[in-house]
Amino acid sequence: MQKSLIVIIVVAIVVVAGVVAAWQLTQVPSAEARKIKIGLVAGYDLAEGQDMDRAAKLAVQEINDAGGVYVSEWHTSVEVELVPINTVNDSPQNSVGPVTQAVEETQVDLLIGGYTSSGTLANQKVAIDNRVPYIITGASSSLVTRRGPQAEYGGLAEGSEYRVDDAEGMSYMFHYCTTTADYSATVVRFFAEEMKPLLDTTYEFDTSRNLRLAILYRDDAFGKGVAADSKAIIEDENLPIDVVIERSYPADTISFLTDLTAIKDAQPDAVYVVDFIANTGQIIRQGQADVELNTVYIAVECCEDPAFYTLLAEYGHEQLLESKFAPYAGPPYYLSSLDTYVTNYQAAYSTLPGMMGADTYDAFYIAADAIERAGTVDKAAVRDAIESCALDQMLIMTETGKIEFSTGTDYHEIAPVTFVEQLIYNIDAGECRSVIVYPESAAGVSIKQDDFVLPTAYTPGS
Amino acid sequence: MKQLLLDSFNFVKKEVVAFSHSEKFYFVIAAMAIVAILPLLVNSYTVTDILTPMIIFAIYASSWNLLASSGQGSLGHAAFLGLGGFVSALLAVKLGVPPILGLFIGSLLSAAIGLLIGLTCVRLKAWFLAMVTFGFSVIIVTIFSEFDDFTGAVMGFPAPLIVERGLPFYYLSFAFAVISISIMYLVMKSKIGLAFKAIHQNELEAKMVGINTGKYRLIAFIISTFFAGLAGALYAQSIRYIHVSIFDPTYSFLPLMMCVIGGLSTIEGPLIGSAIIVAIDSYLYRIDGVLQALMGSLFPAVSSVGPPVRTLGLGLFLLVVVIFAPKGLSPLIKKAYHYLRRSLKEEKS
Amino acid sequence: MITSGLIQALLWGVATGCIYILLATGLNIIFGVMKLVNFAHGQLLMIGAYIAFTVTTAVGLNPYLSILVAMAAVAVIGVGVERLTFRNVLGTDKLNEIFVSLGLIYVFENAAVLLWGNTVRQIPSPLPISIGQIMEVNDRLLAIVIVIIILVSLFLLLKKTKIGLAMRATSQKSNASMLMGVNIEKVYIFTFALGAALAGAAGALYGIIFPFNPSIGALPTIKAFAIIIIGGLGSIPGAVVGGLLYGIAEETAVYLLGATWRDATAFALLIIVLVIRPTGLFGEKGE
Repeated sequence: MQKSLIVIIVVAIVVVAGVVAAWQLTQVPSAEARKIKIGLVAGYDLAEGQDMDRAAKLAVQEINDAGGVYVSEWHTSVEVELVPINTVNDSPQNSVGPVTQAVEETQVDLLIGGYTSSGTLANQKVAIDNRVPYIITGASSSLVTRRGPQAEYGGLAEGSEYRVDDAEGMSYMFHYCTTTADYSATVVRFFAEEMKPLLDTTYEFDTSRNLRLAILYRDDAFGKGVAADSKAIIEDENLPIDVVIERSYPADTISFLTDLTAIKDAQPDAVYVVDFIANTGQIIRQGQADVELNTVYIAVECCEDPAFYTLLAEYGHEQLLESKFAPYAGPPYYLSSLDTYVTNYQAAYSTLPGMMGADTYDAFYIAADAIERAGTVDKAAVRDAIESCALDQMLIMTETGKIEFSTGTDYHEIAPVTFVEQLIYNIDAGECRSVIVYPESAAGVSIKQDDFVLPTAYTPGS
Repeated sequence: MKQLLLDSFNFVKKEVVAFSHSEKFYFVIAAMAIVAILPLLVNSYTVTDILTPMIIFAIYASSWNLLASSGQGSLGHAAFLGLGGFVSALLAVKLGVPPILGLFIGSLLSAAIGLLIGLTCVRLKAWFLAMVTFGFSVIIVTIFSEFDDFTGAVMGFPAPLIVERGLPFYYLSFAFAVISISIMYLVMKSKIGLAFKAIHQNELEAKMVGINTGKYRLIAFIISTFFAGLAGALYAQSIRYIHVSIFDPTYSFLPLMMCVIGGLSTIEGPLIGSAIIVAIDSYLYRIDGVLQALMGSLFPAVSSVGPPVRTLGLGLFLLVVVIFAPKGLSPLIKKAYHYLRRSLKEEKS
Repeated sequence: MITSGLIQALLWGVATGCIYILLATGLNIIFGVMKLVNFAHGQLLMIGAYIAFTVTTAVGLNPYLSILVAMAAVAVIGVGVERLTFRNVLGTDKLNEIFVSLGLIYVFENAAVLLWGNTVRQIPSPLPISIGQIMEVNDRLLAIVIVIIILVSLFLLLKKTKIGLAMRATSQKSNASMLMGVNIEKVYIFTFALGAALAGAAGALYGIIFPFNPSIGALPTIKAFAIIIIGGLGSIPGAVVGGLLYGIAEETAVYLLGATWRDATAFALLIIVLVIRPTGLFGEKGE
């Protein structure tokens, strides 16, 4: 009896091994048609992620239709293949796995994307370790490029777990996005330069009265980063702003009544809302409808997306949005490249584009250009080529008018231009459209479209 | 004291000898052989992202199983998974403690907290205990988030590994699993395990026959949370990241699912359950495309019907198992095996 | 320092408390009569909110009438669920009820996602309206009134009707009441339907006052259990006091400490009570 048992067991082992081996063999990819595989790291459960996907497909289509990318090493033009890397909601635990699979199994040539800071900081480790160029189009934390030795670890304390000691690996990271410092600066400067004088004249305040700012943010790296950066800039530049209250809440909160009530108690002149589309929209609605906090709210640029405008409806009227890509502020637009993009995007998808898509669209062109100049898909060469990118600005304005990744430093960031829009309700559309109210001009181009006005039902702080 | 050690040693010797003569012995050897050879046959992604988690969750699920066998069904076990992960990672990163040592300290700390929580629960009935343990997992999230400057939980950070990722880490986890599960097996077979079962069946009666139910409930907590912490330390290293999301209810419900589906109170149940659920999790998402094509039009409110359909299916599966096969799949597999053997025997004779 | 904001927060707490009261009372009845622990009870609240939402937006029914529709629908769903699942594990291992609850949570939550999507909704309300110059009726005020009406009706039902008597008898000693000719099956069905209906009402009210999505069911369940424990099993006044206390404590904690402490406060309260008295503040022996 024992013998037959042993036989069965041995046979079982052999069978299992054989099946697994056979299955493994069928996994080996066939000799592939030469294509450039670019992975798009996006959370497809999010409106922003879907926007990125649509923009990516548009870019890839355009590039391929125009003949693809000429790779001199192969003596031929090849097509770009979009490899979707679905990070679901772009959280760390949901993004590391898919990115690992894309890098190790699918063996993408390059990565584009990343949305949340925490997710990107987690999944970029895979790219760093494997030396894969990663054009990060989201993630407002500057640590994505500054956490390495070449940027003195971004000021991270020694022993900090976010430090990366791999300078070589870090050189493959490119940040094609604004950082929390970039847009916090624009927001607080707007309050100091535009809003405070208007308040002083309208309500006859003494000029020594500082503007009263409330910061309401989600309790994660992104929210905390913006709150901290805003306060730092106010102090560094000696701006006439007092942060009278700051409140944070868990990222999965959907109702903000008590927080808004506490803010109302503190009598602010303005509220800086730091969260993504769904929550920001909810806050602005609840603040006005349920808590009667009739102040002016300013949202962060990640809300620049059709879903936000739809969600706000009439509650967005005369509220503010900091942005770097304004598909709702025209036509005609402040940048001609927007006219083309918006038209093409709408034709293809029957909806207006959002900001994350714009970043992504540009990034694909940056990648294609870099590969062509490098003449190869060898990752080190491509990295060098991206580093020496000198394309004219596309959808995102830069301070110099060109796309340059930090000339003079060893880490790769761009210097994007951000502005503040005011939303105006449009009856025909049933939702708001926007106008740029600050600053006057950027990179030599005049962009201001109208003056900032205080909302009709506005009440200032004390 | 010496007598206690001597008794334990004799007990272990007796159990090991008894086991080696049993039928199960060959199964275990065969299974271990398969687990040892398998990673050499598959690609590295499968090893790191599918097989290694299967092993680690086998430890985690077994730890939950041990606690449940004493009638204490915890709904907040993720707290200990996360504690083990965070303590070991923080020690390694902030104090330079070697990860292997950090792993043990993490497990010990997890057990210490487990003792505290066990104390609060020691007089509670099953459903109250479930609520309290769930409550603790919620509270621990708040604590770790509030003290983020110290814990780094909100952003998360990479956890340093004991050995290199891939095959070395796989075999290390395997070794830990063999040791952990063997220990838990011996505990379950011993008088302690019998006490657990008695308490589970009827606590009042157990008290009446003189079992110190409080003491054994605490023992169950300590052992269970120790191994949960150990699994947590390994898990953080396997995904190379530790983040506050490790305390999510999902991680609390996973071992429960694995044990119920695999077979509660058996030693192989959690292993089977872990293998099934990790496999389903890793591969099942590929049917999302098919699901979308089939049902997409029925549910226009969602962009991708795949994930909710799969989770709903999992819930239904759990219900079916609990209602129709409350002892899980393990006894069914055993029955199938015995049926096979009998029919083979009949063929021979 | 009493600020207007603190009072506002307290009032939000009262609104939350009302919803907790309904949920806890429903749970109280089911737990008391059937000795059944259903952790998926909050899912019935969530379904109630969605049904009320659908009826209000699709048919244009006044949201306060939708409450009745939600109550009826959730009662039916509740009974159906109970017959299919809990009925089969009642009397077996106590842990099985927890497992069934978990399965139900997954099923309900994802069914809601499939049917209505993950976006946050709120039931549009015709309020607030002003009555002359004297006062303004808003949703919260009306919610308090509705809860009082429901509780009074419930009280009358339990005290004055035959079925109420049967329920109370069963909750004391189900064997004895069986001997006395009480149809246990009928009582169980009616009890569960009643408890579910209360959850449905709670959900509909919730959906009018607060925004909701498929995940809102999970935590209120445990808080409702906590309220029963604190207020005392089988005691309606206890549930009222407990519910109000819980709601107010929660919102006050959020106001003072920040939103991250919302749930932790709720559980800390529960744990403290359970540690002091494992059977609850006014609990009966053995439970």
